[in-house]
Formats: sequence, C-alpha cells, structure tokens
Amino acid sequence: MTDATVSTYANAGGPETALPLATSSRASKRKARKIAAKGPKRKITWDRVWAQRALLVMAVPLLLYQILFKYVPAYGWVIAFQHYRPGRGNVWNQQWVGLENFRNLFTGVNGKQFRNVVLNTLGQSLLSLIVGTIGAIVLALLLNEVKNFPFKRVLQNITYMPHFLSWVIVASLAAVALSLPTSGGFINQGLMNLHLIDHPILFLTQPHYFWGIVAGTNLWKELGWNTILYLAAITAIDPTLYEAAEVDGAGRYRKMFNITLPGIRPTIVVLLIINSGWILSTNFELPYFLGNGLVAQRAQTIDVFVLHYGYQLGNYSLAVVAGIFKTIVAIILVGSANLAAKRLNQETLV
Amino acid sequence: MSVGLVGCTGHAATDASPSKPAVIPAGDLADKSGTLTPSNPTTLSVYIESTHQIPAADNKLTKLLQDKLGVTLKYELVTPENSDQKIGVMLAGGDYPDLIGTGDLKLRFIEGGALTPLDDMLKTGKYPNVEDYAKPYIKQMSYSGAATDKGLYILPNYNRFFGDVTGGTYYGPAFWIQKRVLEDAGYPDLSNMTVDKYFQLISDYKAKNPTTDGAPTVGFEAPAPTGSEWILTNPPAMLAGSPNNGGVIVDKDNHASIYADKDTAKNWYQSLNSQYNQGLVDPETFTLTNDQFQAKLASGAVLGMQDQGWQFGNATDSLRSAHKDQYTYVPLMPVNDGATPYYADRAVMNINQGFGVSSTSKQKEKALKFLDMMLSEPWQKVLSWGVEGEDYQVGADGKFTRTDEQRAQSKDLTWMASNKLMALLDMIPKHNGTFSDGNAFSPDDQPTEFYATLSAYDKSFMEKYNKKTWMEFVNKAPENPKYYPAWNIKLDDAATQANQQLTDAAVQNLPKIIAGKTSDFDKNWKAYTDTIGQIDVKSYEDAINQGIQDRLKNW
Repeated sequence: MTDATVSTYANAGGPETALPLATSSRASKRKARKIAAKGPKRKITWDRVWAQRALLVMAVPLLLYQILFKYVPAYGWVIAFQHYRPGRGNVWNQQWVGLENFRNLFTGVNGKQFRNVVLNTLGQSLLSLIVGTIGAIVLALLLNEVKNFPFKRVLQNITYMPHFLSWVIVASLAAVALSLPTSGGFINQGLMNLHLIDHPILFLTQPHYFWGIVAGTNLWKELGWNTILYLAAITAIDPTLYEAAEVDGAGRYRKMFNITLPGIRPTIVVLLIINSGWILSTNFELPYFLGNGLVAQRAQTIDVFVLHYGYQLGNYSLAVVAGIFKTIVAIILVGSANLAAKRLNQETLV
Repeated sequence: MSVGLVGCTGHAATDASPSKPAVIPAGDLADKSGTLTPSNPTTLSVYIESTHQIPAADNKLTKLLQDKLGVTLKYELVTPENSDQKIGVMLAGGDYPDLIGTGDLKLRFIEGGALTPLDDMLKTGKYPNVEDYAKPYIKQMSYSGAATDKGLYILPNYNRFFGDVTGGTYYGPAFWIQKRVLEDAGYPDLSNMTVDKYFQLISDYKAKNPTTDGAPTVGFEAPAPTGSEWILTNPPAMLAGSPNNGGVIVDKDNHASIYADKDTAKNWYQSLNSQYNQGLVDPETFTLTNDQFQAKLASGAVLGMQDQGWQFGNATDSLRSAHKDQYTYVPLMPVNDGATPYYADRAVMNINQGFGVSSTSKQKEKALKFLDMMLSEPWQKVLSWGVEGEDYQVGADGKFTRTDEQRAQSKDLTWMASNKLMALLDMIPKHNGTFSDGNAFSPDDQPTEFYATLSAYDKSFMEKYNKKTWMEFVNKAPENPKYYPAWNIKLDDAATQANQQLTDAAVQNLPKIIAGKTSDFDKNWKAYTDTIGQIDVKSYEDAINQGIQDRLKNW
C-alpha cells in the first residue's frame, strides 16, 4: 500500500464524502481523488533508506517469516510430478511421473467430478459471500440507527456469539434444525404451523437446497461478527456530515443512503477483495459435516474431494495438484477483483 | 513416577540389557526373559482403531500390566470412521507410536514404511508365542506386494484358530429382523426366505405397531455411513447366494466381476424402491452417520436392516443391558429364486488387520515382547475372561464358569471401563478357538456359558425354533474357497481409485434410486449404470483377479 492510498482510505469518511449530497460535484471529486491516488512518484534513494532504517530492520523478521513459512514450503509442489509414497526419506527419492497426476485429476471420471466440485465451491462461496456481506451491511446500518446504547450492545453481543461456536456444533445444530419434526426439526415444524407446506421437507436430502443451506448457516454464524468492521467504519464517519444533512432536511433513510453507505464503501470493497482470495478455500466444514450421498452432487467441494481422493486413498500427489490449482485460481481471483475495483475507481488492496 | 519411566525407556532403546537387575515377579503372567519387568518399567505408546473408550484411570488390568510386566500403555484411540484421515496425517508426519493396531485394508501403514518387518526379530527365538502364532500361516499373514519389502508386518487380530472352533453368536452378514416381529407373526418358518417374505413380515408388524416406546416404528434401514458403505452396497451379493467377497461376485471358475450394475442389484434396489414408496424404509436413512445409525438401532424402533453382526454389536449390547431382548435381532437369509444361501462363511483370518511394531519405535524389542506376552495363554485368559476368582471360576473339571453376577457385570459398559481393556482386546492377536486346557477363548464362545447367558426371552425364543445357538439360524458354513475372501485383496493405486469411484457412485446414486418415484426407477438406474460405465472398472476387477490367482498359487 502506498502512502497515497492509505491517506485516501483514512480520509474515506472525511470531508470529501460530504459532497455526494450534491450529485453534480461527484465527477470532480473522482478526478481529485485520482490525482491524489497517483500522487507525485517519490524516488528511492540511499538517504531515504537510511532515514527509514529502523522501520526496515523491524520489517526483516516478518519478511523472513513470510519467506520461511510461505515460500520455502512450496518446494513440496514437486510432489505433483511424482508418484509420491511416504516413508521413502525425502521428496527427491521418488518416482517421477511427469504430468500424469494432472491428467488424472483433470480428465476422465475424476475430471468430471473435479469440474463439479469446483463449481460447487464457487457457488457455495459466492452465495455465502454475497448473502453474508449484504446481511452484515444491513445489520450494521440497522444497529447504527439504534439509539438506545445498552440495547444496541446486547443486540450486538447476541448476534456475534455464534461466531465462537465450532463448525462441528454449528453443523449439528443445522442438521437438527433441518431434520424431520419428529427429530427436532423446528424449521419444518414452523413451516407446517404456518401452513406453508403440508409435508415436512427433507432439506438435507435435496441437492438443490444445499448451496442455500451453506449460505444460510454461514450467515447465521458470521453475521454479527462481520458487522463489527462495518460498525467501526461507520463510527469513523464525521458526525458533522449528519448534522449538515439534518439541517438540509434529510431524513433517516436519506442519511443512511447518502452518508453512511458511501462512508463505508471503501471498507466494503477492501473486504470483498480480501475475501475473494478465500473463495476456493473456505468451504470445507459444512459440506463435510452436512454432505451425504444424496446431495453430493451439489455438496462436495474441492477440499472434501481432495480429502477423499487424495489423503484418504494415500494419493498425496493428487492432493498437491489440487492445491496448486487452488493457489493459482486464488491469485487470479484476487488480482482480477483488485483490477475491477481499480477500474471502478474504488479503493484497492495494492 | 512418569519421569522415571521415560528415563528408563530411553536407555532401553539402545541397550537391550536392563539398566537395573531385573526382578521377575512370581506367577505365569511375568516375563521370564526379563525384558519387561516392574523393576525396569516400560511405557509403550499404542495407536488403536477401535470404537471402544480409553480404559478408566483405575482399570484393574492396567494395574496388572504394571505389576507383572512394568508396562504402561499410552493410548491413542481413533474410531474406524475417522481412521482414514488419521492415517493420512500420521504418514505425512512420519512419527509413529511404538505399537500400531490398525484395520486399514489399504495397508497404508505397511506401504508407507510405518511398520517394521518382524521376520528377523522372530528368528532370534526370543518371541516363542508370536512364532507359535504366526508360523503355520506366515504366507497368508505376510505382505507380498511391491511397494515395500515383503515380510510379516501385522499379526492378525482375529480368527487365527487354535483347537476347536466353538461359539453361538453370529457376527456375519444377514438380513436382520427384530425378535418381536417373528414372535408377533407366530414364529413363522424361516427357511426359503425371500426378500418379499422378509418385507411382508416387517410391513405386517409395522401396520399393527406404528409406534415403539413412543417413537415412530421404522421398517427398514439402509444407511451408507462413511467407512461402512457396504451396508448399502453388499446385499445384492448375499441375495445372489455369494459369500461376502466385498464388491465382487466370484464365479466357480474363480473369476471375479462386480455386481453393482447386474440384475441381482437391480432387482434388490427396485424392491427397496417400492418399499420406500410404501413408507417402509426410513426416509432419513441415507443421512445417518454410523453413530446415529447405532443410536437408532439401540432405540429399538428399527424392525430390520441388512448388516454384518459385528457392526451393530454396541446397539445389541445396549438393548440387552436395558432388558429389551425383544428388540434385538435374528439373522435371516433371503435369496433370489434359484440361489442357495451362503451367508455364513468359515471365519477367515483377519489378515492385514491387527498389531504391528512401528518403524520409528525406539524400543522395538520391548514392543514385540509385549505382543509376545499378550499372546501367551495366561494373558489371553486375562484379557478375554478376566482375573480368576474375580471374573470367573475354574470348576473341578478345569472348565471356566461365571456366576450370574459376573455375567451381568461383564456386559455393563461402566464396569468394563474399569475392569477390561476393550480397545486393546479389539486389536490384539487372539487365541480364537480353544485354549490348551479346553476352555474357549472367550466366555461368549464357551458353550455352557453361551446358553447360560441367554436371557429367559432368548431361551424361549430359541425353543420355539428348536435351536440352541444363533449360529443355527444361518447356513452351515461350507469349507471356504482357497482364495477367500476377495474383500481383503490388496489393490494397486488405479484399482483403489476405481473402487473409491464405484463406492462414490453407489453412495450418490443408490439413495436417489431408492427414494425416487417408482416410475423413475429405470431412468435413475440407467444414470447409475452409465456412471459405472465411465469408471475404470476393469482395473479394479483385474487387480482382484490377479490377487485371487496369486492366492490360489501361493496359499
């Protein structure tokens, strides 16, 4: 992050955003920000390095940490090109097989399954991300409007409690909630009491519900937690903006849409960019605990597939191929999300 | 205390002779060779795949091990359901406990180099009990694949028989039915059983008794819990009159082929499909985990299922201890027209499942000596029967007997935690059959004990059928084919993957087929067989046939 982006980020809720009320000046504001973002390029000179020596020295251990634990282990990727067997000493004492593992994963029966699990992973993650983000923003806006402070605190605490439950517990709760009324399925019970359905639905045996179940359970667990950042961003908005808006005769909804939302827009964008990198890696627990044969077509994700066909069959090479695939896709996703944000003139990560 | 233990074992790693003069305790439970003595205590770490719990802290046999051998066991217990992951992680880590007790049919511990070949150690003659155990069957017990050195790695945990084979309980595959169903139907004739008759019995009873102890009565369960998917996939083979060969049926020319896409499977799942639509099959059955399945059986509400007897032993135990014998099960043997039931087989040695000594153990001699001691008749009796005078008595004729109180407590799970080493007993090599003094290996196999432990309900039930043991409800096992059984043939990588894909295809398609509309059956069945068609089934069948031929040649 350059100094320039840091400053715009810090000023995001500052005076500049006061302008949106007058829509005509939006374009000029964008232009101004673009100039600020580019800024005058500063040259790196030895003087500057010397002046910042303390900072640089402090950065060294972190840099080493990153290299040691994030880059060095990547040599294990050679396993992808081997017929790897554990217990042969090291990874160089193995049989080399070229691209056979890639062929095995991406073609034939495995290839068909793998395309399916990639689709499931994307589907479940994107749905969870969209539902989760919208839910968190809405809740943050609503909480922000609660003027009774103790009530707001209690509400906030209650909503973020589920974040601290482990996925095993959450999955069991979800399984019970979605089961038949005789097994404690209160969702079915509720729907039947409301006369929305005549017969209980076996949610966990119907493939087309599964993505929704994942997104819903994610929402339930993480909703409160995700609002914390948004609430923090909201408190950084200059209260004088609201006062000015009030003087101009803006109501609650007007202020919400024209001050609060634009104020937290940079936060939303940055969080979306960060989360886009996790899209292929986040969905293991729920599909693993809730998935079964009947819904496997929509439930199985990359990680679950890798567990079955890689680790459980002792085929580590296949697992590594899948890991490489995930890494490359994640880099592309973060890069393109960042690029898209830049194009849209939003705050970016790098 | 524990610090002392660790210190001593550290020495023993490099030095076979004890650091202190060994004091060998009296009695035939002591190690006369002086390797394992209380004066030089040993701590052995043990990995065991078992559904049993870690014994209670005050366990009396744990104390006996310390008193007689100076051995403390440090357990790492993993349920079979979770063992697949655990093994993968252990192999990736490359550090293993001293002793590994595994049921892994993929032989990952052996092929991953986690186990030590025992052949050279046995040649030293220091392990007479292990030698005695392994020698006659060394070819079957040894690893013969190509991934690592050939040799004896694992001592099988079950069915290496000594003396006569006795026993009254049936642990094999069957279509099980609750005793109350047969009682209600007036103890009908069970011979010439068919799938239709079986479901008729169940549906008649269910119609009359829609609830059981307040819960809805369940007609039939066909779950596919992780690791036990064969509950769902094996019935077609049994119905075709084939013994349990896993995923294949072996014809009389010793040629194996899969049956998942054949008529016997189609007919079975079609009838299951029609039963499902008549409400006889539990709609939740396909989402059950093994724990939930056992819990359902233990609730007593399930009238029938196809399963192997040992798989739901815990549920049966819990029903018995609650005195609900009418909810326990009897094995039935339905077959297709023209087939002869071949459900019961001669118990086969559990090759590749059992205990081995790890390759990273720093005290291999002591670890093997521990197995050797456990294989001695006195210790086998302790593990299986308990302590003489406390858990059983020896009659004037030398026969072991138990009082009613001893019998009752032997089935009490809390009592077992403090008085038995169930997890160890699960994986330790056993003296199945009879001991040299004529007593059966376990109380359940002792003919007099078996009959005496039957509840009044069970006794009268058996009288109605004029039978003395549960074994008599199934076919008399003929001599096993020489290669038998095909399910424990080791597969190569391509075959393993094909096998997994077949299992996945079954687990994903069969529930749809069974729970689908009757009119959709043909469409769903075609989707399933199409999926199978895309899998490299040939590599799987070839690997099995190769294994059969090898066994015919070498065993």
